[in-house]
Amino acid sequence: MDRKKLYKGWEEQASKELRDKNLEDHFWETPEGIKVKPLYTEDDLQKISHEIGVPGLPPYTRGPRATMYTNRPWTIRQYAGFSTAEESNKFYKEGLKNGVMGLSVAFDLATHRGYDSDHPRVVADVGNAGVAIDSIEDMNLLFDGIPLDQMSVSMTMNGAVIPVLASFIASGEEQGCPREKLTGTIQNDILKEFMVRNTFIFPPKPSMRIVADIIEYTSKKMPKFNSISISGYHMQEAGANQVQELAYTLADGKEYIKSALERGLNIDEFAPRLSFFWSIGMNFFMEIAKMRAARYMWSKIVKQFNPKNDRSLALRTHCQTSGVSLMEQDAYNNIVRTTIEAMAAVMGGTQSLHTNSFDEALALPTKFSARIARNTQLIISEETGICNVIDPLAGSYYVESLTSSIVEESQKLINEIDEVGGMVKAIEMGIPKMRIEESSAKRQARVDSNEETIVGVNKYKPTEKQEINILSIDNEEVRKRQVSRLQNIKNSRNNKTVESFIEKIKNAANSDGNLLEICIEASKNRCTVGEMTSAMESVFGRHNLSTKTISGVYKNSVKNDGKIDIIDNELSKFVNKKGRRPRMLVVKMGQDGHDRGAKLIATAFSDLGFDVDIGPLFQTPEEAAKQAIENDAHVIGVSTLAAGHKTLVPLLMESLKNNEANYIKVICGGVIPPDDYPFLYDLGVSKVFGPGTNIQEAAIEIINLL
Amino acid sequence: MKLKSYLKLFKISNIDFSKEIGISSVSLSRYISGERLPEKKILNKIFKLTDGLVDANDFFLSSSSSRDLSEIHKEEIKKMVLNIREGKLKDLAKAITLIESSLKLHNAQADFLLSKFKQNKNSLRVGITGVPGVGKSTFIETFGMSLIDLGFKVAVLAIDPSSKRTGGSILGDKTRMMKLSVNKNAFIRPSPSQGNLGGVAKRTSESIRCLEEAGFNIIFIETMGVGQAETTVYDMVDIFLVLLLPSGGDELQGIKKGIIEMADVIIINKADGNLKNTAEITMSEYKNAQNMISNIREDISPEVFLCSSTESFGITKIWNFIRKFEKIRRDNGSFYKTRIKQQTKAIWRNIIMQSQDYIENNLKYKDSVKKIIKDVEKNNFDVNNASKIIFDSILKRNT
Repeated sequence: MDRKKLYKGWEEQASKELRDKNLEDHFWETPEGIKVKPLYTEDDLQKISHEIGVPGLPPYTRGPRATMYTNRPWTIRQYAGFSTAEESNKFYKEGLKNGVMGLSVAFDLATHRGYDSDHPRVVADVGNAGVAIDSIEDMNLLFDGIPLDQMSVSMTMNGAVIPVLASFIASGEEQGCPREKLTGTIQNDILKEFMVRNTFIFPPKPSMRIVADIIEYTSKKMPKFNSISISGYHMQEAGANQVQELAYTLADGKEYIKSALERGLNIDEFAPRLSFFWSIGMNFFMEIAKMRAARYMWSKIVKQFNPKNDRSLALRTHCQTSGVSLMEQDAYNNIVRTTIEAMAAVMGGTQSLHTNSFDEALALPTKFSARIARNTQLIISEETGICNVIDPLAGSYYVESLTSSIVEESQKLINEIDEVGGMVKAIEMGIPKMRIEESSAKRQARVDSNEETIVGVNKYKPTEKQEINILSIDNEEVRKRQVSRLQNIKNSRNNKTVESFIEKIKNAANSDGNLLEICIEASKNRCTVGEMTSAMESVFGRHNLSTKTISGVYKNSVKNDGKIDIIDNELSKFVNKKGRRPRMLVVKMGQDGHDRGAKLIATAFSDLGFDVDIGPLFQTPEEAAKQAIENDAHVIGVSTLAAGHKTLVPLLMESLKNNEANYIKVICGGVIPPDDYPFLYDLGVSKVFGPGTNIQEAAIEIINLL
Repeated sequence: MKLKSYLKLFKISNIDFSKEIGISSVSLSRYISGERLPEKKILNKIFKLTDGLVDANDFFLSSSSSRDLSEIHKEEIKKMVLNIREGKLKDLAKAITLIESSLKLHNAQADFLLSKFKQNKNSLRVGITGVPGVGKSTFIETFGMSLIDLGFKVAVLAIDPSSKRTGGSILGDKTRMMKLSVNKNAFIRPSPSQGNLGGVAKRTSESIRCLEEAGFNIIFIETMGVGQAETTVYDMVDIFLVLLLPSGGDELQGIKKGIIEMADVIIINKADGNLKNTAEITMSEYKNAQNMISNIREDISPEVFLCSSTESFGITKIWNFIRKFEKIRRDNGSFYKTRIKQQTKAIWRNIIMQSQDYIENNLKYKDSVKKIIKDVEKNNFDVNNASKIIFDSILKRNT
């Protein structure tokens, strides 16, 4: 049968069904700029530029292992950290009893930034967003009764990676597990921190040296441990589209390879221990195609470095369902979203997976929500039969075409990075950050003008409010406990030895000694995470980030459905009355570096006509108050994601009051459990906005408030 | 202007003035209080004697509202003045808001506020310019912190009149001056870009006076280094610093030659890492070029320095030069003379700006003016005649 004739027939038939509408109108341009047709055919398979191949062999498009899930399904690895080592330990043990196969540790913000719990800058951060680890003693409690020679442990740590990994290794040995037997992954991906997550400590150069120290040490002494997890996850969370996530992550990977090679390592010594980490959002087929494209492209990238071992070319990855796709409104919908995303991760061939709990847009997961999240994976794995066939979507006209388009689009971005001289340079120039923020502003504009549907948020909104039980943490209690434990350590250890180790760490930082090696011994001798960090800081310095922002993107992407006119009108009334535009200071207080929300708010509000001041990251409440007063802001917008609001907002209000500046209004936005709203209103907060707030509606409310 | 204000301004007693016109002092007080209106002959005399500052309208129209403040407002401002002197940041910030406001009432309050201030002779006003990316903020951060360590109080004003955006602004300056912005001896106020250059200049120099009154003794004024703003800034500072990158000439750096010629201090910034050699070459190039440029200042030649804000290198040398510059010019009197000249310039700048404002926001919208212009367009009226009539109407005080 003549294919051409056949498709001609389809076109005619389709045009008839569309009546007066054009077939071309049904092409969908994805946020990545890929044109998706309504129908894919055999012809499209002829045009693809990548090789499909077979699983387990280069270029690994179909998977890094020959048998994939038919032999062993992916690892169910739930990321969690519950303030204290004891609590977290309980949670891990509960998970292990119920089908979880690997641990994944979330650390609190103070630990990420290398501060001990008794440091004055982290009053509100201890125990927030994860477990506080100040020393090997906390590590011992964290893994109490969990045999580390049998359990693979993944640790999301980038900033304070040396002292934390050192304490982990030391704790393993105190438990009786020699370092060569440890399995798991350390994230150790500092480049993306400078791009999106901001949980760095040192400037880029010494930070890259630390990465190389770890790759060097683990490749020699810890053969079963993944030295780095090159992460796209946080990029997508910060608003990157899938092509950006893929391209920048692979470019990061390339940079790590280069710096390990510079260290004199052989590519085959470490490349097989590099792993990846993707975010899986709601664009189902795009995510699957992204994962396949990633494996193909990585094999081509590593090939340039002439490895002898084929395993060096295989990309292995962990996936997590997308956190930004979770909504506060109609929160049970998140279970469905997570399920669809988990399916995409599995169809895309992930090696391990974390599924989010539905309440994570509000707070840390409860026992109940964590159980549903786990079960989501168990159901896919054990009830559907999906695991019986490897890479079931291979050869699909659409999926392969999409994979090819992603390869091509990502390659363009990678070329752009190569042209400026690699990722470190590109980051210094702010290129990836700028592009990601642009995508983020565009997406918000699409959601705000209902071009992109989010069920329960901008369409089909629930009429009744649901009550959801959430977990709340007494941050102050956690801090007190940590501080007293620190006190005990400092009283019982040999402080002379500690001092000598601090000197050794400084010397190593100044020369080319391996920092990890020295810190393992230092942790055994009860040096704290904060002490080891400040020893390095005294040599490297602490990195400050200058905030660059984009403008115009939001306004150009948003459809004017009348709200913009209302805002313009309200604004000119405001200016006529007050003599200037409303001025808003957007602050992120505490050690939480996720500034996607704050930056989005800043750029969107300035596009809408506000004068927006941005506070530096990691501000204290007193500093934020000073800035608001000096700039004579009408309102302070507090962006919070990490539960710090319960400590930080009261301190901010107090600081304003002490300066007789209560005339400055305060609003809060971000991940704030509804149960905390009354608490904030009682403090004098004027308005609280949850995730998924329409920015234009918020703007109108704020103008009226002032 | 009202006759009462005129007599007060020129310190003329009622008796002297009444004698000049040839009326009794009682009649004069009745005219002043508004009890009676002067007749035509007297009005003419007053007009001539006051050089046209007091005319008939000043007697016949009730006092224009916006320029005169109520007693309550005055009391508020007086309190504000005291608080500013005590160093209360809140009041300082509010004062700058009044200065920047587009409301007539606020401007009148600001004027009243400024009239309470004395001239500050001890402060040092430092202009800093350079293209985006040259590291101005980081330089100010490092430099400012070292000045605070020496016991100074440091303020920073950033101005950006180049952009004519209608929307809001994003002001992220403080994220680049993290230590300085949280220090209690520092004050940083980024201002949204708005209006024309003259307006920005007026507001900036008024803000400088507020900062000085609050005890800030080193005041940085930061501009972009790409436009005409620098000449304006030059006219409100005591010393002018230009930051350059360690590479190529002015054209390559995108900085105007005229700006380099105004510099008292040229700083080759970012002279660290592998740029150190390039920086040294750039420095010697500028040193050579500097010899050929005729100095704007008669008493001291500009100097070129290498600097690295991240490695805190070069800062001390730069500060020593600034101190020397200041001492020489204070000792020979040119420091203060320049400030006086700057004030005169400011007067004319303000007048030009207000005229422009009046033309743009008022005159162009008058029905009579619109009609005249229409007539010109229809060839019914001559251009010269039209401009003359419209200009005359300005002279006749339209408020």
